Amino acid sequence: MSEKYIIQIKNLTKIFGDGVEIKALDDVGLNIEQGEFMAIMGPSGSGKSTLLNQIGILDTPTSGTILLDGVDVTKMSDKQRSVTRNKQLGFIFQYHHLLPDFNALENVMMPLLINGVKRSEARKTASKMLEEVGLGDRMKHRPNQLSGGQNQRVAIARALVNKPSIVIGDEPTGNLDSKASDNIYELLRRLNREHNQTFILVTHDKHMAAKTDRTIQLVDGKICEDSRNGNGD
Amino acid sequence: MYELFIALRHLTSRRRQSIFSIIAVGLAVMLLMWSQAMMVGFTDEMYSKTVDTMMPHVTVEPQEGEDYIHLYRNLIENINEIDGVTSISPVLMGAATFEYKGKNKNVVMQGIRVEDHDSVMFINNNIVEGNFRDLEVSPNSVVVGDALAEKLDVEIGDTIDASFPEANPTNLKVVGIYNSKTPMDETLAFTSLSTVQDFLDVSNVVTTILVRGDDRERAQEISEEIDTLGYPAAGWKETNPEIIQTLKIEGTSNAITLGLIIIIASFGIVSTLFMSVMEKTKEIGMLMAMGVSRRSIMRIFVMESSILGLLGGLFGVMLGAAFAIYMGSYDYGFEVMAGISSIPFVVRIQDAVIIVLFTFLINLIAGIYPASRASKLKPVEAIGRD
Ligand SMILES: Nc1ncnc2c1ncn2[C@@H]1O[C@H](COP(=O)(O)OP(=O)(O)OP(=O)(O)O)[C@@H](O)[C@H]1O
Ligand SMILES: [Mg+2]
Repeated sequence: MSEKYIIQIKNLTKIFGDGVEIKALDDVGLNIEQGEFMAIMGPSGSGKSTLLNQIGILDTPTSGTILLDGVDVTKMSDKQRSVTRNKQLGFIFQYHHLLPDFNALENVMMPLLINGVKRSEARKTASKMLEEVGLGDRMKHRPNQLSGGQNQRVAIARALVNKPSIVIGDEPTGNLDSKASDNIYELLRRLNREHNQTFILVTHDKHMAAKTDRTIQLVDGKICEDSRNGNGD
Repeated sequence: MYELFIALRHLTSRRRQSIFSIIAVGLAVMLLMWSQAMMVGFTDEMYSKTVDTMMPHVTVEPQEGEDYIHLYRNLIENINEIDGVTSISPVLMGAATFEYKGKNKNVVMQGIRVEDHDSVMFINNNIVEGNFRDLEVSPNSVVVGDALAEKLDVEIGDTIDASFPEANPTNLKVVGIYNSKTPMDETLAFTSLSTVQDFLDVSNVVTTILVRGDDRERAQEISEEIDTLGYPAAGWKETNPEIIQTLKIEGTSNAITLGLIIIIASFGIVSTLFMSVMEKTKEIGMLMAMGVSRRSIMRIFVMESSILGLLGGLFGVMLGAAFAIYMGSYDYGFEVMAGISSIPFVVRIQDAVIIVLFTFLINLIAGIYPASRASKLKPVEAIGRD
């Protein structure tokens, strides 16, 4: 039974202790299936980003376990974490966090190069990916020469170029207007359907959340609601 | 090698800082290269003014407990077989008291074969009056230094009385006066081998054999080969340790000073690298999120400082060598050193290679600290909270 879940979270607790202890995640349990397109909602400070960072192995939990594809990430070496982040995970943040010294194409090539793919091949794959997000004509532009929405699309192309099984987005459209964010959601949804990748997106936007398959509500570090939206198959 | 790709892009993106770093290191390296070329040049010049003209490369002594080298003709033939030997001069030395018209002076007489001795010690260059060759033409003749001639008040054609306890007193006619600009001019007198042999009442022996080779750096090799022939021999470095000593001390203190300058210049690179690590905190976090390991983050930043160091080193070495070559070919029109009117710079490839490697290494090491700071960033904290 457990084999069908790509992400299994058990008793996950994260405490930030800087003088005063803050329980950002409180005994969270969560199972996510391959290909799910889900939203995490909740008030500010409820622990949404903290949860995503744990799933993305960007941070280590205080206690509990996270299994990605059946492997316990809390027991991984630094090298294994890097390889997992590179091959299995794709990150999209509220601000694009592109590398400012590299153009759009090079930014999208980077995960492939890190993975050891040859330069010429990486260039081919990355340009296809950029075309897919509608930026085929902006490949040689640097981040400071692109608009916010365009940069965000480059960041999406970068997050997806290595065909990760899990894509996590922390308010990926948080600083875009509603038209631009609609476009981005449509794009993500299409990619999710085409490649059966798992998407976990933090959002404050109820309309967006309603378009996903499943919505989780976090309050004070606990999951207080987990609902199916009936948009999926 | 995506690490190199990233490192190079970082360097070209902050072009101005990179260029200043390269110039700073380059100028320090230039100084080191330039002064090294001068040092080597002066050393070379000094050797060619002393070792190459005034002293034998190798000196062969009698066997232990003996006063003389017997059967020296045989030995000379054997030495002649050794690779690199160009000339050999057998010498018989004896102490004597010279007396002329009531003035006297204790001297060392050297019995020589004129042509052989000239080929080792270039004595003919020092003659000011008369002729060395006459030593072999007329028996009982002598060539004295100009200082000795003055002390005794003798001129060419005068006859000196030579004597010493247990020696056969004899008369020596002055056939030449030399001036070597050394203290020996007062104490050293040359005669033919047979004249000294008669004086000391010995035959077929010499006290030392002087050897010159084609390359002064091979003296040690040659002297070791002569050792194996059964006669103790010493290269010029052994017989004149003070020459080496002086040059070594000066060379070392010079290199230390300039090495420190390069290290200081490299601090500039460390501080720009630190600033760049601070500026790029978010990027570093993002690179980690993309799957760059801590090791690779470290590698990227160490590469940045090493590349700057390498370029600074190459730039400096080329500049220093160019200056040295230019200044070395310049004729100052006055004597900068005894007998020469240009500064004798010598640019050696091995010095250039060592200096570039040294600079590269210093900067590699200097980069480790900021690089390790970058690699220890925690991905979440580096990316920051939006
Ligand atoms: N590095 C940290 N050190 C200390 N406390 C932290 C740290 N990161 C998060 N917290 C705390 O943990 C709690 C959860 O924070 P988190 O960033 O996960 O909230 P969030 O749900 O993403 O909020 P928002 O919607 O505003 O982004 C907050 O109370 C926050 O102050
Ligand atoms: Mg958040």
